[in-house]
Amino acid sequence: MRYRVKFQKYGVMKFVGHLDIMRYFQKAFRRAALPIRYSEGFNPHQIMSFAAPLGVGITSDGEYMDVDMKEEVLSEDTLQKLDSVMVDGMKILEFRALNDSAKKAMTAVRAASYLLYYKEDIFLSKEDLQSKLAAFYGRPEILIIKMTKKSERELDLKPLIFSFEVVELPEVLREESAYSFGLKLCVSTGSTDNIKPELVMEHFHKSAGLEDVSFGIHRVDLYTFDDNEELISLGDVGYDVQ
Amino acid sequence: MKKLALSDDILMQVEKPARYIGNEVNIVKKDPSQVDIRVAMCFPDVYEIGMSHLGIQILYEKFNRREDVYCERVYSPWPDLSKIMKDQKIPLFALETQDPIKDFDFLGITLQYEMCYTNILQVLDLSQIPLLSKDRTDDDPIVMGGGPCTYNPEPIADFFDFFFIGEGEMSYEELYDLYKEMKLSGSYSRETFLRTVCKIPGIYVPSLYDVTYKEDGTILDFKPKYDDVPSKVRRVVLTNMDEGEYPMKPIVPFVKATQDRVVLEIQRGCIRGCRFCQAGMVYRPNREKSVELLKKYAKEMLKNTGHEEITLSSLSSSDYSELENLVNFLIDDCADEGLNISLPSLRIDAFSLDVMAKVQDIRKSSLTFAPEAGSQRMRNVINKGLTVDDILNGATMAFKGGWQKVKLYFMLGLPTETDEDMMAIPQLANEVAAAYYETVPKEQRLGKCQITMSTSFFVPKPFTPFQWAEMYEPGEYLRRAKVVNDTMKAQLNHKSLRYQWHQADVTVLEGVFARGDRKVSSAILYAYEHGALFDAWTDFFDLDLWKEAFEQCGISVPFYAYRKRELDEILPWDFIDVGVTKEFFIREWNNAMKESVTPNCKARCSGCGCKSYGGGICHAV
Repeated sequence: MRYRVKFQKYGVMKFVGHLDIMRYFQKAFRRAALPIRYSEGFNPHQIMSFAAPLGVGITSDGEYMDVDMKEEVLSEDTLQKLDSVMVDGMKILEFRALNDSAKKAMTAVRAASYLLYYKEDIFLSKEDLQSKLAAFYGRPEILIIKMTKKSERELDLKPLIFSFEVVELPEVLREESAYSFGLKLCVSTGSTDNIKPELVMEHFHKSAGLEDVSFGIHRVDLYTFDDNEELISLGDVGYDVQ
Repeated sequence: MKKLALSDDILMQVEKPARYIGNEVNIVKKDPSQVDIRVAMCFPDVYEIGMSHLGIQILYEKFNRREDVYCERVYSPWPDLSKIMKDQKIPLFALETQDPIKDFDFLGITLQYEMCYTNILQVLDLSQIPLLSKDRTDDDPIVMGGGPCTYNPEPIADFFDFFFIGEGEMSYEELYDLYKEMKLSGSYSRETFLRTVCKIPGIYVPSLYDVTYKEDGTILDFKPKYDDVPSKVRRVVLTNMDEGEYPMKPIVPFVKATQDRVVLEIQRGCIRGCRFCQAGMVYRPNREKSVELLKKYAKEMLKNTGHEEITLSSLSSSDYSELENLVNFLIDDCADEGLNISLPSLRIDAFSLDVMAKVQDIRKSSLTFAPEAGSQRMRNVINKGLTVDDILNGATMAFKGGWQKVKLYFMLGLPTETDEDMMAIPQLANEVAAAYYETVPKEQRLGKCQITMSTSFFVPKPFTPFQWAEMYEPGEYLRRAKVVNDTMKAQLNHKSLRYQWHQADVTVLEGVFARGDRKVSSAILYAYEHGALFDAWTDFFDLDLWKEAFEQCGISVPFYAYRKRELDEILPWDFIDVGVTKEFFIREWNNAMKESVTPNCKARCSGCGCKSYGGGICHAV
């Protein structure tokens, strides 16, 4: 039985990198004594795969991993058991079963949304920021040069940015932010056209004349396309076992 | 959520920021305002190494069981962060509360190897605590040291307020009670506290002793400054291992530690009595933990950590009397599909091969033997009981079982070693390879066997029968390695043999520190102030800097490292009563020269002196 686990990553945990988070969860499943399935062979490992690695320094409300359980488990009960062995800053939000036909989180993920907030004064009002953003995102195309290991290629960011707007920040992010407002960005994510928020911000800042400003990144959620090509939360693909 | 001591900007600049955030699984959380004593325990090396150390986990558990104590952890910041902290004057902090170490009552530093000495100074320096004990005030924490290097603490004596000599399970209660009482009554001062603690068993306060030297640089006299200060400090020992605190909920790091598994300490001390081995002498008597207790610990610790691997810790696991019982329990009752059992090097016999076949992939794993010397003559000198027959029989059995990789560990430069003894090393390896080709028919072989020889260079250590021995210069060590290498190439099976030898440069430093006296501290200070740090790491070790330090401070390397000592010389560590008597070491030195073997503690008591502790193998029926 496959399950999709959704979790939060907050506070100091943002400094724990993706590989270490994977090891952390492997041990957490053992501490919680959950019947997770192991691979065959001399070095069996838990069957666990993450949707989209989160960069170091980024907090999140929407992290996902798929796990394979040896037997059917109840969503609420399992969620509680796993959550009870978490450290401060890690919280389990969902533990939902997947249909056999559901794609793996890693292949299903198509978009990610982020909140971006300024850690210091950028000498702009909310309105100023809105107009700078309109000037950037309002263009018909946003051509950039993307450097890869082997070559560089021209890329149009515009169709890969699904939305980009100025928003009021939730309470939890205001502590770190210099302003009550920030930016909300939804970008293409996944195995093709994986756009990092840092890249978009770099080009937005260039266009807005904001060089070297320090900003924080918070991931809000990850999305896939439903049958109607609409973005839906990766967690909504699963269903609760009661 | 708690504030970190370092800003996001700094943490984003440094390698592996998770080393510095605390918050790991199973950390102890207390309200610092509700305790009387704050202790920071430090392993002066990088986090991943420090977190792998069992001793600190034991003390962390023990200290935190007291309601009036909050013990936290601190490790050496990696050079990238170290530089930033030094430049920006950010005080070094403890992981749990992220509070500055300088505001703590005690800073305890474990001394596991000599090459960490400059890191001790880094930790003090970044903590903004004066490097020299004599410069500290009543407001500075008390800096205490413990661990194997305290069996000659003299080269670092000036940096510490006191050393704890012996096993950490002992004496701390008395120490903390005394500190608390003095603090509450207002009678505390650094001076009166140190003057009082020097009477607690196992505690050595270097500033209360005077050392005078002869013209030739050797010690003339080593004596207490005051009548009420003990002239000898006796090592303290936990006689009943089952009574010691053990961390049932060890901390599980986020960053992968070197020891990323449950560590089960099965016994302390060793019955073997190898004459070069300090651990085999200073942890006597051999004391076992009861197997039923260990079974309980194993289950609990696996549950509490979620580790996917468990290993046994001891100096010689094969000598643990209930080993079969314990290992079978781990395999039958603990192992689920995800659990790995990693066995320490066991004596190779039918049992251990059977167990290994169950827990590891035979084709990939290798068997390890530590004959330490190539010839039987040399093995008699060092009192290593392993014979050629033991090795060849073990290897033959293993080859039949499907193994084809063997590792052999040796030392070069042991007392009385001749070229014949060196040549015996590859000859032995050749015989092991020959045993493979004789045992395994051609059609069953998966290519050649791989016999890897590895040699380290012998460093004479305090409190061993070889503490008086001469040590060789790097050039001579490398010549010896070349003898081994050249002989190997002439062996019939040389294509199945491999040879690796250690760097000789670090060995020189270890030699100076291992048998150094108080004068050596000036060179350590000089080296640190001129940039030496993380000397245990080949990437950072700078021999030229150390040569300069020794020269500038008038420290003669030949005098400290290479020189053969006379049996009647006053050695810098003679003030420690380690339990094993000097008479025993002299007797063993003479036995070594006669190439005469001393039986192990189980076979017969050789009267080393440790019976006086009243426990362990000495009193077993």
